[in-house]
Amino acid sequence: MHFDRTTETIDPIPLRKTLLHQAAGAYCSYEGWVRDHNIGRSVQQLEYLAYPQLAPAVGAELLQEAKEKFAIESAALVHRIGLLDIGDLAVWVGVTAPHREASFLACRYLIDQAKYRLPVWKKEHYPDGSWAWIENAPNSSAPLLAPPANP
Amino acid sequence: MHIKILYFAQLAELAQKTEETRMLQAGDTVASLYAELQKTYQFPHELAQIQVALNHQLSAHQASLQSGDTLAFLPPMAGG
Repeated sequence: MHFDRTTETIDPIPLRKTLLHQAAGAYCSYEGWVRDHNIGRSVQQLEYLAYPQLAPAVGAELLQEAKEKFAIESAALVHRIGLLDIGDLAVWVGVTAPHREASFLACRYLIDQAKYRLPVWKKEHYPDGSWAWIENAPNSSAPLLAPPANP
Repeated sequence: MHIKILYFAQLAELAQKTEETRMLQAGDTVASLYAELQKTYQFPHELAQIQVALNHQLSAHQASLQSGDTLAFLPPMAGG
């Protein structure tokens, strides 16, 4: 069980290796990438910041919850912090389990919970130089713009 | 009696600072402090939309405040 936040490029290959387990017959991962648009608007970059003294505890709590809720062997969650470009890997989740069903469910649970419980904030930068803070709503895949949007 | 206050994301941008130390008055609560800060910095969120961390641990809005505490106001999060 492993949580990390990093300013470096996330490389899933070594992370995947940390989850290998002889009792695991299934591995499921999720990669969240920076896309070039949101809510009909072109996006140039995303900027993430974290609460460094709190994020590790919340990350560990989410992983522990996943372990308790689903029959998994191991799980990891890594979030990138800083200014990211289009196509960059922003968040990575990996789960191993004896069977695929638990790996799918735990992976989904971890990314869904991380989006609104991990003390990480996201700012969208637009091609015209403006920006907006984004707020994730619980149980929704649709982010909201933080009120008020900047000029 | 002092308290350190941390701001993140949009709140830091509006306050134009990531932290400050303020005097803690007898009877001050998380709600009373936030109301004062909301007025000062024009924070758009109601307290119900904000999470708080006391000494770097998520806490209830009803948590009691002590001199020397660090109180963080956390706007809605947006990981991923």
